[in-house]
Amino acid sequence: MKRSPREHLSKIGRIARWEVSRSAGMVDRRTAILGILALLLVGSVLGGGLLAGGVALDRDIYRVGVASDSPYYEPVERSIALDARDPDPDALRDGDVELLIREGGVLVANSPKGQAALSEFRSSVRRYNFERMQAEENGSAAFPVVTVLQYVPRTGALPEGAFADGGDGQDGFDTGEGGDGTDGADADEAGSDDDDGSASSGSTGGALGVPALSGINPLSGGGSGSPADIQPPFPFGSLVLAFAFLVPMNFVVQAYGSTMLNERINRRGELLLVAPVSPGDIVAGKTLPYFATMLGVTALVALGVGGSLVSVAAVLPIALLFLAATFAGAMFARSFKELTFVTVTVSVFLTAYTFVPAIFANVTPIALISPLTLVVRDLQPLESVTPGAFVFATAPFVFSAGVLFLLGIGIYREEDMFTQRSVPLKFLDALDARMSRPRDVAVLSGLSIPFVFIAELLAIAVLFALPVSLTIPLLLFVVALIEEVAKSVHIYAAFESGTFPRVRRVALILGALSGLGFFVGEKFTAVAQVVGLPELALGQAALAPSGIGVFSAVGLLFAPLVLHVVTAGLTALGAMRDLRWYAAAFVGSVAIHTAYNLAVVTRLG
Amino acid sequence: MADSDDSLRDPNQDSNFPRDSNQDSKPPRRPPRGGRTDPRLTIARREFGSLRKEKTILLALALQLVIAAFSSFLVVGLVSLYDPGQVDGYEVDVAVTGDASEQLIRASREVRGVDAQFYRSEETAMRAFHEYEATGIDAVLVAETRDRRVFVRAVAPDSNVQTTIVVVQLRDVVRSFERQERVDRAAHLDSQPLALPPEASSSPYFGFTYTVLLPLLLFLPVFISGSVAVDSISEEIERGTLELLRVAPLSLTDVVDGKLLTAAGLAPVQAALWIALLELNGTSVANAPVLLALVAALALLICGIGAALALLSPERRAAQFLYSVAVLMVFGGTALLPNGPVTAAARLAIDSATRADYVAVGAVVVGAVVVYGGLRRLVGGLDADDL
Repeated sequence: MKRSPREHLSKIGRIARWEVSRSAGMVDRRTAILGILALLLVGSVLGGGLLAGGVALDRDIYRVGVASDSPYYEPVERSIALDARDPDPDALRDGDVELLIREGGVLVANSPKGQAALSEFRSSVRRYNFERMQAEENGSAAFPVVTVLQYVPRTGALPEGAFADGGDGQDGFDTGEGGDGTDGADADEAGSDDDDGSASSGSTGGALGVPALSGINPLSGGGSGSPADIQPPFPFGSLVLAFAFLVPMNFVVQAYGSTMLNERINRRGELLLVAPVSPGDIVAGKTLPYFATMLGVTALVALGVGGSLVSVAAVLPIALLFLAATFAGAMFARSFKELTFVTVTVSVFLTAYTFVPAIFANVTPIALISPLTLVVRDLQPLESVTPGAFVFATAPFVFSAGVLFLLGIGIYREEDMFTQRSVPLKFLDALDARMSRPRDVAVLSGLSIPFVFIAELLAIAVLFALPVSLTIPLLLFVVALIEEVAKSVHIYAAFESGTFPRVRRVALILGALSGLGFFVGEKFTAVAQVVGLPELALGQAALAPSGIGVFSAVGLLFAPLVLHVVTAGLTALGAMRDLRWYAAAFVGSVAIHTAYNLAVVTRLG
Repeated sequence: MADSDDSLRDPNQDSNFPRDSNQDSKPPRRPPRGGRTDPRLTIARREFGSLRKEKTILLALALQLVIAAFSSFLVVGLVSLYDPGQVDGYEVDVAVTGDASEQLIRASREVRGVDAQFYRSEETAMRAFHEYEATGIDAVLVAETRDRRVFVRAVAPDSNVQTTIVVVQLRDVVRSFERQERVDRAAHLDSQPLALPPEASSSPYFGFTYTVLLPLLLFLPVFISGSVAVDSISEEIERGTLELLRVAPLSLTDVVDGKLLTAAGLAPVQAALWIALLELNGTSVANAPVLLALVAALALLICGIGAALALLSPERRAAQFLYSVAVLMVFGGTALLPNGPVTAAARLAIDSATRADYVAVGAVVVGAVVVYGGLRRLVGGLDADDL
């Protein structure tokens, strides 16, 4: 039954409307009252907490024995983490205080806690000195040094641009607002000369391109031109704001998972299944309202934090992947409890995967594996996002989401929806549902590429901080592991469910097809070149064996094909028998693959 | 139709169970009280069995481990970026020029890992900075005296991995310089700055372990338990299996109690596991029994709230949403209090507890009892047929 796209759209629209009206109907008076009660409770607790004074997880964790007439009493009293106690000489020995301040100096408990307390004490004295100096009338004696920090790119020779805006002139030091032409995170810290420095405190936030979060951001502070104000470059504010994009998603995904699993409980979804609509339309229709909600929330957040369209466009792939993973989870899960764990796992993984690399947004191209990096860069006024970087960061997310939806829709049918099997078995079912002819094996191998890409990038990101000599062999092994799983797990699924006969010839053909599909798909990872990932030692190690970033060796064009066909054929032979044989063959393939990777990398290196 | 009960047996899963708890929960009907086992225990065992069957407990533990590793990675990674002492053997070469360069170079000797070199003019210094591959110069400091002050311009390389370290080192140099200059001008100051205490050999990770990591590991199981309580009750409602349970000689209170027992009971067990692991790892955790009592009370409180929400909400979506909003916000809110459960846990664990912290634990226990009492009243007034 062929239908025109318009018919599809109208069906999707109708299901979406139905989903919305059903959800709206759910909000009866009781829920509304409960919601208001919850909000009131939250409001009162938050209000009470704010009155009691800011977030401080480390309040009074170190105890300091100090006399109330000691000059050090005030810095201790003002510090959040330090708690002033009586300077009882025995207290230190009894373990009742970590530091004991006396006339001549400070006694420190002989423990890690004592050292930590001393370090905290030192910085609180430094802060205290700074505040006292600010109150001094003689500004030049209190702050004899005025510092300006500039960031100068070191590509080639551009000596004349080095001080272009910072200025060698007299007036160079009171640049009030705005950038310095360079990265300029804090280039205008010295905004004030003789006055107390409060005037320029706003510009700290301004330089990062975000509102100053003085309560949250430990790295912001008023500028007085004192060296104490120099801040290392770190897009903390932008990161906090980028997190604001992620938080609402977790809530939407909860509701989305519920409604999807609801269809599977008590065969409720059967009515929709017998209606003249395809499973794809049902899923699209049920997903649409939630996607629209995410889009709306993202746009609102972007509006709130001053992100441009780029931010919204970069966050949407994350939203899509959240929905897709939750959908697949809801199709696999047996109960609400299991679904909760699946959604929490998805949330934690995606949050970590998108958030951690974004911390290094200004430092390394690896950061671009996360679309949040694009947001962080977008929020900084002097950074821009290139189209290549945008594609590199978002494309794997979009494709992964598509594949997950495809897998889920494959088992959106009566015989799978209403049966209960454990999650791994359901996953195998979903893979099997996509395979009816041998060439589907090749297609599935190709479709696994986005996940392989994400997994390999994750491995690079995790390993890049370690020394290269150690990580490259490790990385090559991990890469082999990931790729072999991607090439063989669906073959195993097909054999287990009896889609193909367990014959050696069939296994070899399937293996060859899987290798071919993977080889073709792999070529799309060339997008990594756009952001210069292959220039990194690790990036090169991960990508070179598939012939990316190396054109000198012609033999490398087809060597990967031979490798993939051989290893996939080997695992297919194992998968044909049973799980134990599959495991053994898998270990063999990984060994071959790792050896090949090592050979290629050492020959190139 | 073989379906509709969440204890539906899975042929691939149950083989390794010594005793199938699903089986004995229903067929042998026992009298409600006075029999061998408390019916609530039976329900609790059945709940635990279903959690075990779905391997969700393992998943929960793995999840908590990932979250802990994630936050530790964040902190350790950032610390190594910020604390040059952690990056062994890395020396920052600074080109110093200007009329005050002599004092600046003297000040730089106090900072570890900095090698300051004198350059005659700013131009040569900048050239050395740009030709860093030959000269090794990472940064430039230009110090000029004007109007009784020294103006220092610091030039750091733009956006590369070392930038942060370079900037931190430059700051330390200029700070030490400022201290010296202040001493020279001491006569003009009304109040003298206090002498700094000696530098400590401590890692910032120490504070993080107690103030963030440990509370995270203690309270995550509580969150998860509450979520399990919500799910397990709303699941019975949605599948309509609560009616079946009602046919058994059980009251609704027994059912809710049993579910609560499993959910809330798991949290302290997991917390104890994390504390033991931290101890093995060399982080000593003080007041462990008090901490476990806090976790247990909090778990009862949160699971009680979750169960009440699940019974009152029409659908799981609403229940989970209300639950997560309420719990996250309440936790966030109490974190703001000077003696909330989060800070109290940190202080108890690091062995700096005051009486107020014990009072906070006591308050949580009282709160848990109150919530549980409220839940019992609520359940007593509900008719299972209406759910």
